[in-house]
Amino acid sequence: MSPRVPTALNPGDVLQRVNRDVERSILRARNGIRYVRGTNRPALGATPKDVVWKSGKAELWRYKGGDRRYGPPVVIIHSLVSRSYILDLRPGNSTVEYLTGAGLDVFMLDWGVPDELDADNDLERYVDWYLPRALAEVRRVSGHDEVTLVGYCLGGVLAALYAAGHEEARVRNLILMATPMDFNEMGAMVALLREGRLNPEEMIDETGNVPADALYSGFYMLAPTSEVAQKAMLLENLWNDEFVEGFQAMATWSRDHVPFPGAAFRQLVELLVRQNILMTGAIPLGGRQVVLANVRGNVLNAMAERDNVVPPPAVEPVMELVGDPTRREELRLPGGHVTFGTGRSAFKHTMPKLTAWIIDHSDPSP
Amino acid sequence: MPANQPLWLRAVIRVERTIGQPIEAAVRSDTYFDLVSTTTRVQRKVAGTAEGVSRRCLHLLNLPAGSDIRGLRQQLARMERRLNELSHDVAELDGNEPPSGVT
Repeated sequence: MSPRVPTALNPGDVLQRVNRDVERSILRARNGIRYVRGTNRPALGATPKDVVWKSGKAELWRYKGGDRRYGPPVVIIHSLVSRSYILDLRPGNSTVEYLTGAGLDVFMLDWGVPDELDADNDLERYVDWYLPRALAEVRRVSGHDEVTLVGYCLGGVLAALYAAGHEEARVRNLILMATPMDFNEMGAMVALLREGRLNPEEMIDETGNVPADALYSGFYMLAPTSEVAQKAMLLENLWNDEFVEGFQAMATWSRDHVPFPGAAFRQLVELLVRQNILMTGAIPLGGRQVVLANVRGNVLNAMAERDNVVPPPAVEPVMELVGDPTRREELRLPGGHVTFGTGRSAFKHTMPKLTAWIIDHSDPSP
Repeated sequence: MPANQPLWLRAVIRVERTIGQPIEAAVRSDTYFDLVSTTTRVQRKVAGTAEGVSRRCLHLLNLPAGSDIRGLRQQLARMERRLNELSHDVAELDGNEPPSGVT
């Protein structure tokens, strides 16, 4: 009887492994050169869309997709600090694409990149000026009286204030994704401003806005060494085109912040951060009190369990403050502030659950 | 940590976490917050002083400084904003745009 060759040393397996490693090395070299040269960048925000309304830097996009089988239309209100393509990162990994694919009529209100012209944009400008006009256009082009509003991060605050402060809002569903309510729970992101170590004026530059670099630094300092592990993961997976494309897309987005309009920033710091006013359930806006409990319609509070930008304790009070208590629901999802809206985890958890909730609270289109 | 990760990658991630955790704790400390606010103020003061000196030099030569240009841009931006608002008001009066209903 001949001695058995251990499995690990089986010549066939060894040869296969060597072949695989050689192939991967070639692919690593090719992708490495492309990565360093900055070529083969993935297409970001690529879902086809039409601009249906525009005012200043703000644009309202309506996404093209398959059949629009459900109404009312879904309108995504993006945050003021980042680029909206995070929700339409790349084909196959896009919340927008998922929603349109499910038969929903999806709109996105994108705020553009603010400059000197937008320095005076305050919360009233967004809540009482842009939103009513953009949503009137949504109603006009979609033919629906009602809307489903989806607010992401600070966009959720704007959406909630609009839904609460406008009688004509006709918001059937209000979905708040990672929307901060309790700014005392926001941790390191706002600690410098809350405790008065820095004043808003010290962060506002000559354009009248908070520069994008300052916002990037704030996010970067939450986990300053994590880039090392991310780069190591990239090196290991450099042979994998899909991984490299996803990595490049996320890396591009995470550095692509936009300036924060100065007037809105001053209000944010004074009212939301220092006075933590949302926790009182009302906020003075445009000479009136906007009471969050006045939101009519269903409220879904979606939060990410490992969110270190807007941690769950900052989001949870939505369940006690916004809308009618009998029409509030909570959705806890795995992932962090960004990864619960994009990436594999989002595709597996957030997108199906969010889509199912919206469809459950919509009507089939005639 | 997935079991199929190579040893070197696991080692890098472990080292990153070992170093990263204390750094993350440090950047959430009062000392760090004080350092950031002091640095920001010093930076602004130094930049302001340098700008003041260069402005005076340029004005001596009857040349506009960056801050003059900035001031002009801000005035232009204010004017453009006002014009935009007026155009919207006119459009709303003509009934081309919906007015905002505030409650």
